[in-house]
Amino acid sequence: MTHALAIDTASDYLSLGVLRAGRPVANHYALCGTRIARTLLPQIEELLAGAGLEPRDLDVLVVNRGPGSFTGTRIGMSAALTLGRVLGKPVVGVDALSVLAAQADPAYPESFHVILNCARDEAYAAPFRWEHGRIRQLGEIRLTTLAGIATEAGEAPCLLRRFEPVFPGAEATVTGLTRVPLRYDQPDALRLLAVGIPLYLERSGGPFETPTPLYLKSEAFRTWRAAGEAVGGATGGATGGATGGAAGGTTGGAAP
Amino acid sequence: MTRAANRPVKGRTSRIEARPARANGQAIGLAIDTTFDDTSVALLRGRRELLANLTLSQIAEHAEFGGIVPERASRKHLEAIHPLLDRALAQAGIGWDGVDYVAVSNVPGLLGSILVGMTVAKTVAWTLQRPLIGINHIEAHPYANFLVHGELPFPLMHLVAAGGHTLLIHQRGHFDWSIVGRSVDDAAGECVDKVAKMFGHPFPGGPLVDRLALEHAPGPYAFPRPMLHDGLDFSFSGLKTALFYFLKQHEGRSVPEGPVVSAFFEAVLDVLVAKTLRAARRYGVKAITVSGGLAASRKLRARFDEKAREAGIALYAPPPQLCTDNAAMVACLGAYRYEAGRHDGMDLEGFANLPQ
Repeated sequence: MTHALAIDTASDYLSLGVLRAGRPVANHYALCGTRIARTLLPQIEELLAGAGLEPRDLDVLVVNRGPGSFTGTRIGMSAALTLGRVLGKPVVGVDALSVLAAQADPAYPESFHVILNCARDEAYAAPFRWEHGRIRQLGEIRLTTLAGIATEAGEAPCLLRRFEPVFPGAEATVTGLTRVPLRYDQPDALRLLAVGIPLYLERSGGPFETPTPLYLKSEAFRTWRAAGEAVGGATGGATGGATGGAAGGTTGGAAP
Repeated sequence: MTRAANRPVKGRTSRIEARPARANGQAIGLAIDTTFDDTSVALLRGRRELLANLTLSQIAEHAEFGGIVPERASRKHLEAIHPLLDRALAQAGIGWDGVDYVAVSNVPGLLGSILVGMTVAKTVAWTLQRPLIGINHIEAHPYANFLVHGELPFPLMHLVAAGGHTLLIHQRGHFDWSIVGRSVDDAAGECVDKVAKMFGHPFPGGPLVDRLALEHAPGPYAFPRPMLHDGLDFSFSGLKTALFYFLKQHEGRSVPEGPVVSAFFEAVLDVLVAKTLRAARRYGVKAITVSGGLAASRKLRARFDEKAREAGIALYAPPPQLCTDNAAMVACLGAYRYEAGRHDGMDLEGFANLPQ
């Protein structure tokens, strides 16, 4: 049975989860902000010791590879990839939007949109659905404006993240959207494990591709520049007409 | 982007075997430095025996921007660090379990870059259950000298002429030092890079300025020596401005680049030499060292050699490849700290700036 450690530092939260013999035995989820680089290893140490495991007992590492905070994502990836390297164990990367999607009620049969606000007027959006107890991503991650979210989501219900109070006023621009029923009230590391462990089990024995951070936002910037699309300024370029460029330029990566 | 296959190891629970640490003097340290644009790792046995010393320069990655882009630097560190660690271990002929302690630069530099190396170092140390040692990158620069010259006679005066800092460090013993002079605006290395850029040359400008200064006499040109007679602090932004206005005045006319750059570098050297020797006299020190990227300059080394000799002061300089950022110097200071039991906790923090 699988012993696993999940690491998620892609947002302002430090989130860690431990699976012992296939069962979740420890979960840490706390607002951490800029203290993540200092706190991460002591917290891992405490959580694993509490679960009665040593580093060498781990079979697999699961990590949130973004999109999210660039520095935060890198810290979690640095730790997960290093653990995998030193222990000789695989590392499974899961996209941030898939972790959020896994909060939805597994009994909900239809597709829904996960909308992750990443700047004052921008958000990532991707469609998901539960299928046979697994969260499945139905389309690529797109960068859109808040005004464009209703168009993006269509009739489907949504799961919103990082709106109020992170971006005051953002909620008002998306009123009228229906919400998908949630089963889990926070996107903690147990959600990360719920998405990542099935990926590990189905690939077990085969080669594991080393995950890379999904920075996305600046990748979209670069694609637009390369495509010769109008980019007003270094910071203003992503709003307005940029949404069309994202459709061709960014992908959702390795979601199930 | 590295996409190495990441296979689970079959039939074994772990590659890590429990093993008592080696005796002092034989312990193997892993050192990591990601403070600026170079990803560096080193493996050192004892205090002097370098088993591996690898640096991956990012210069080409930033060339189109004419400087270092911090976010891009952080990304490149994460891409580079694991393949580099693998190569270092292979070169040293040891596995992860052969590492007795991990040393990492956690101050000063680009914070986003430091956090990558620091998190990797912490994770290695914790996974192996070995000591972690945080290193001040600036304190480590002079240890390139201990690495190649062996024990040096304390007290020492170090000139550290690195990219972001020009410092005079008075060292009374290991771990017992203070900064007695520092750049109040641009560091000397920074000033050299910017002047090279004014002449249309790519970053970093140091090697080109050094070559021009060796090949050309200053001729009739002369530039100000800022704060030459004033204390131990450095100021180079005025010199940079003087070059800027000189070039502006001569706009449209041909300027002999070699002699002008040579005259500029003479001004830099006069200041560095005068202040270092003044600091040595003031603190009654009989031996000085130079280190940091600018200390790779042949012209600088020749000038210090000549002036130190005249003053009856011993001079130590590392080979040029150990002047620029490298993890070997971090490993050497790490070895002294390891032997002295000066370890750090897993809650080690990263800092962009030197404490004031």
